[in-house]
Formats: sequence, C-alpha cells, structure tokens
Amino acid sequence: MSIPDWVEPVARYMLTEGLVGTLKIAAFALAGSVLVGITLGTLLTIKFLPLRALIRMYIEVWRGLPILVTIFIIFFALPAVSLQLEFDAVTAAAVGLILWGSAQVAEATRGAVQSIPREQHEAASALGFGWVGRHTFVIMPQALRRLLPPLVSLLVNIIQNTTIAQVIGATELLESGERQVERLTAPPPIGLGEIHAFEIYAAVMVVFFLISFPLTRLAAYLEHRLV
Amino acid sequence: MIAVLSALDPSFLADVWAFVEKNSDELLAGLRRTLKVSAIAIVGAFFVGMILGAARAHRIPIVSQLAAVYVEVIRNTPILVQIFFLYFGLPQVGIRLEAFTVAWLAVIIWGGAFNTENFRAGFEAVPHRYREAGLALGFSRFKTFLNVTLPIGGRIALPSSINTYISVLKNTSLMYVISYPELTTTALQIQALTLETVETFTVLAVSYLVIVWTMSFLIRLLESHLALPEER
Repeated sequence: MSIPDWVEPVARYMLTEGLVGTLKIAAFALAGSVLVGITLGTLLTIKFLPLRALIRMYIEVWRGLPILVTIFIIFFALPAVSLQLEFDAVTAAAVGLILWGSAQVAEATRGAVQSIPREQHEAASALGFGWVGRHTFVIMPQALRRLLPPLVSLLVNIIQNTTIAQVIGATELLESGERQVERLTAPPPIGLGEIHAFEIYAAVMVVFFLISFPLTRLAAYLEHRLV
Repeated sequence: MIAVLSALDPSFLADVWAFVEKNSDELLAGLRRTLKVSAIAIVGAFFVGMILGAARAHRIPIVSQLAAVYVEVIRNTPILVQIFFLYFGLPQVGIRLEAFTVAWLAVIIWGGAFNTENFRAGFEAVPHRYREAGLALGFSRFKTFLNVTLPIGGRIALPSSINTYISVLKNTSLMYVISYPELTTTALQIQALTLETVETFTVLAVSYLVIVWTMSFLIRLLESHLALPEER
C-alpha cells in the first residue's frame, strides 16, 4: 500500500503553517500566563483586602468564562467599544488564552507561595531584603519547584486550547487541516473533488497526542518527584 | 478600561436590558439547550467515569487497559478536534450524526475520560482494610464495591469530578463550530442580525458567569454535606 499523492502537500502545509502557528500561539500564551499569573498569585498573598478582592474577581471571571467566549469578546466586542482595541486573530487568541491561563497560574502560585515556611520570609527580611527582593530571590525560587508540575499541565492545556483560535480563523493546526479538507473537496483544478476529512482530522488528533502525551507523563513524573 | 467605564454608565445598563427583553425568546431557547446538553453530559460522564474508574481501580483485565487507552487519547487531544472528527470526519465513513447528537456525545466522551481518572483516584484512595472488612463480612466483590468502595471513594473523587462537570458545561460553548444553537451560537446569531455587539457579549458573558458561579456554589454546599465524617 503506497501513500496517495495528495498526502504530501497537505502534510507539509499542516506542519509548516499549522503546527508552527499552534506553537507560536502556545508560546505567547504560556509566557504571558506565567508572567501575569505568578505576579497576581504573589500579590494575592498580601493581606490587603481591596487588592485581594480585585485579583479574586479577575481569577473567578476568566476561569468562569468558556475560553471561546473570552476570545469572542476580545475579537468582536473590544473593537466595537474602541477601534484602537482591534486585534488580529492570533493576538486575540493569545490574549484570551493568557487571561484564562494566568487565572490558573495565579491560583496555583498563591498555594505554592503560602506553602513556603514563614521562617524563610523572616530570614530574608533579616538579611535586609524588601518585599520585592524577598519574593524574587528567596520565596519564588522555592515556590517554583512546587509550581513546576501544574505549569507543565497548564502547557498541555494551553497547547490543546490553541485550537479554539480556529473559530476566529487564526492559522493553527486545526485551521490548516480544515483549509486542506476544503481545498481537496473543491473540483479538480484546485482540489480533487474528494473528501478526506476523516484522515485529516484523525491526523490532527495524532499530532496533538504526540505533543501532549509526553508532557502529561512529564507532569505526572514531576508531581511524583518534586512534591 | 473603557469597557469597564461604559459598563458603569446607566444608559448602557438600560441598553443591555432592552436588548435582553427584545431577544429574550431566542436567548432563553439557547440557554435551555446549553443546560439540556450539559445535564445529559454530566449524568453520562458520571456513569462512564464511575464504571470505567472502577474497572481501572480494580484492574479488571482488558476493560482496564481499554479504559486507559480511552482516557489517554481523549485527555491528550483537544476537544475541539474531537468535535470536528465526530461531525465532519465520520460522515466520510458513512456515520452521520446530527448536531444535537454530536453536542452531547462529544462532551460525554470528554467528561467521561476525565471522570474515569477522578473516580479511579478516588477508589484507589479507599483504605485497603475497608474492602477487606467488607469481604470478611461475606459481601461479594460487587457488593463490597457498592457498599464500601463507591460511597467512600465517590466522595473522595467529588471535588475533582465537580470541576470536570463545570468544564463540561463550559465546553458546550464549542458546539458553536457545528452550529448547534446553544447559548453561544444563539448569541452570535443575534449579534449578526442586530449588530448590537457590546450588548450581546455582555449578556453572553454574564449568563455563563451566573451559571458557572451558581453551579460551583451549589455543588460546594453538596460537597460539604457529603464530606466524609472524619473530614467534617
């Protein structure tokens, strides 16, 4: 059994355009979620009620909304409020994922920071560190160890949720697959007039599985090892 | 920031209210479909998770291995791709499913996989001596499961399975891609007709937050009610 001719260009397009797009959105979303999430999560440990209420609100809203709705709000509703808030599909998807992901990271960070013994705070203060220095150089390096397993799980979730960007037409793996399904369905000069949705969507699932499975194993291993 | 400020403007609230009154029939129909699909999927995911979780925890040959494959495949692939596969991929091999069928089936399959893990962990956390005591009292393995492992392990699994149910509800919004007219699809249809974009998304977001927050509040009540005696 040989591989049909249509497979090669389809696979090349999906890997060079689609997969690259997926990884790009995922990279932005991960970096943003970690930065914003760790900052908010650390601030959440300060005993100042209005600040805590504000961050709580942020977490509950972006965790409560389906990511699709968040991305729709950024992509469709913000430009209706002000034209300066118009984003392209990739940015809108990345921002939506950052809002959701940072809420997850903030919650995990709060737990990790609070799990560091008080003596560490006291020792750092005694050495002359201020609040920022104490958290940056003493508390966070220790908390990161506990944060690592949830961060790897978050990465898996972010990679999988990048597919939601397909709905607003951002180029990522699922969207690239859909474009190829449509192209192949078109009559001969453009496509083949054949439907290959089954193979192509199955292939998309396989690619996501190959990326996610090692990462979920890694998360389980880290959880077992580090905690 | 601008969005927040305009939300504080009383005339904006009046606009939103007028929008809700004008489109209440469609919005309620969409809301009902979201709740219907979620309810079917939550009940389905409960049973899938309980049965396969029990098979995994008790290492029932073949069923346990098949369940493990099912869980890994579903957890490691995006639910949106699973929906595409069910709705756009399967017709090619002669399996045509209606949008409604895909809507509940996709979330049952997804929620069931996560719930299998939740229940497996719950059942495995039941101390061995409890099961041994059940068996020593002459209960069959099945009766021991029903009377000992399930009530205790099920409660240990409750917090994580609740999170799965809430995710199931949120994931029904993805049925937008197969045009099943649940809440999100309905809202976007209204938006396309009326062009009242900000009002539409305000109503949509508030609806989901109210449902999700109410659900987690009610379920936390249930959780404290069902907590194991030693944890109360």
